[in-house]
Amino acid sequence: MNSLDPRVSRLPEIGKPGVILPKIPLDQFASFEVFVQPREGKPFQHEGIVHAPNIDMAYIFAKENFTRRFTCTSLYVAETRNVYVSSTTDGERNAYDLVADVSTSGVNDEYEIFHLVKRGKQHIAVGTVMAGSPEEAMSTARKMFNTKLVYNIWAVKRSNIRLTTPEELDLWTTLPEKRFRDAGDYKGGDKLKDFLDKQKLTS
Amino acid sequence: MYGGGNTFEGVKTDSVATEDPVLLAEFEARIARGEKIEPSDWMPQLYRKQLIRMIEQHAHSEIIGALPEGTWITRAPGFKRKMALMAKVQDEVGHGQLLYSAAETLGKSREQMIDDLISGKSKYSNIFNYPTFTWADCCFISWLVDAGAIVNQLANAKGSYGPYCRALERICAEESFHLKYGHHCVIYLAAGTQKQRQLFQEALNRWWPPMMHFFGPSDKISTHTEVLMRWKVKMGTNDEMRNQFLDMYVPKIWELGFTIPDPKLKKNTGTGLWEYTEPDWEEFKRVINGGGPCNQERLEVRRIAEERGKWVREALKSAKTTYVTPLA
Ligand SMILES: [Fe+2]
Ligand SMILES: [Fe+2]
Ligand SMILES: [Fe+2]
Repeated sequence: MNSLDPRVSRLPEIGKPGVILPKIPLDQFASFEVFVQPREGKPFQHEGIVHAPNIDMAYIFAKENFTRRFTCTSLYVAETRNVYVSSTTDGERNAYDLVADVSTSGVNDEYEIFHLVKRGKQHIAVGTVMAGSPEEAMSTARKMFNTKLVYNIWAVKRSNIRLTTPEELDLWTTLPEKRFRDAGDYKGGDKLKDFLDKQKLTS
Repeated sequence: MYGGGNTFEGVKTDSVATEDPVLLAEFEARIARGEKIEPSDWMPQLYRKQLIRMIEQHAHSEIIGALPEGTWITRAPGFKRKMALMAKVQDEVGHGQLLYSAAETLGKSREQMIDDLISGKSKYSNIFNYPTFTWADCCFISWLVDAGAIVNQLANAKGSYGPYCRALERICAEESFHLKYGHHCVIYLAAGTQKQRQLFQEALNRWWPPMMHFFGPSDKISTHTEVLMRWKVKMGTNDEMRNQFLDMYVPKIWELGFTIPDPKLKKNTGTGLWEYTEPDWEEFKRVINGGGPCNQERLEVRRIAEERGKWVREALKSAKTTYVTPLA
């Protein structure tokens, strides 16, 4: 290839333009949901998704993609398949009204519960329940957290979540010499004013 | 149910004639109330199709748009500019990631989108089919192409599809750095030597026509978008967006003493609208259909990267996990 960019010109020749060589289908990896704690004392909230071959790499991608600029105090990820979701409702209909009653199993697995309280906003963590299945977790959550209108509920078994360890908390300590990544570091105003003043003098 | 349920069956329709009228009325009422549509909600096939197309194109534009700027990282003047440009290009690729995810919630897999980009089936912002000859071209993109993108993104952030709006909120917050950085670069060229001023003036001459194309064909010739406006997929007409851009940035370009290469460009104080030479829409069509100076190179860079990364993805692929449609 002949490019203005020598690195592009040096690219090896592989296949033909516009033709995708045969490959394993869906090689873009599994889907993981990303949750971030924006500030100390605030609940975790859903931020988006990443694709990764395993949960530890999902955690690293999530850190890069979602907390590179918007620093946070903590982050966790869970595979999308392991997020149990309720029906979505609207208007005055509460998603909890559609959650079926499940009798207590006596099994004490921890489940994180998330609420969507406003359409268009993120799901926010409301707390933990003990249950033997996600259905039971939803049912228990209805008894514990059904205090106001919610449009959607998620339940994730805590053992399926990749949490931030205490040693990893310094991931978000921003180095002072990285200010060049902030809009605030680009004050062109003085230079511009000088320039405009000089223009006025010469004209 | 567990996450990853809704799948996309491919949309053939171009009308809403086959949609359930009751569901359609509910859907439209929800949008009219200002509520967002979430991935698990019922939606007309046409809405799904148009959103996938739009978000996917936006994602491709971020990825391809990183190329003409990325090429200047090693040659940016000074360490600080190199670091800043690297951070900006990293952001753009990150925007691509966020947008692909938002489009995926509608049921099209990321892999399919990337394949469609490489095969030329999907489009991306036409402006990135032009080359960055000098550092000043790169500065033009950082400041003014990003400014144009921000005009579109701020409008689209008020649209009706929840995941797209949330992605755009994050993106717009990062764009403020891009805009400040780009303006800073251009101020330094403007206040620099005669040679530096000339460098930017030449870049402006080269980039002005594609910049005018950036917002899409004039309302006079573009196919009508009434239903997309009602569904808050499109938040303004092409001409409205172009006018907003001109309103915000032409004075800033003039302030720096540069000449915009269009003798007819002026604001009509009566209508409040900008008047300009009609952009060459034939040229726009020619470039978007593959005839631009860099179309082939852009796609080749993506394709070769994809092929070279394939063995890594195959080595990492594990039977224990699998791709599913993301949740929100
Ligand atoms: Fe961007
Ligand atoms: Fe950009
Ligand atoms: Fe940008």
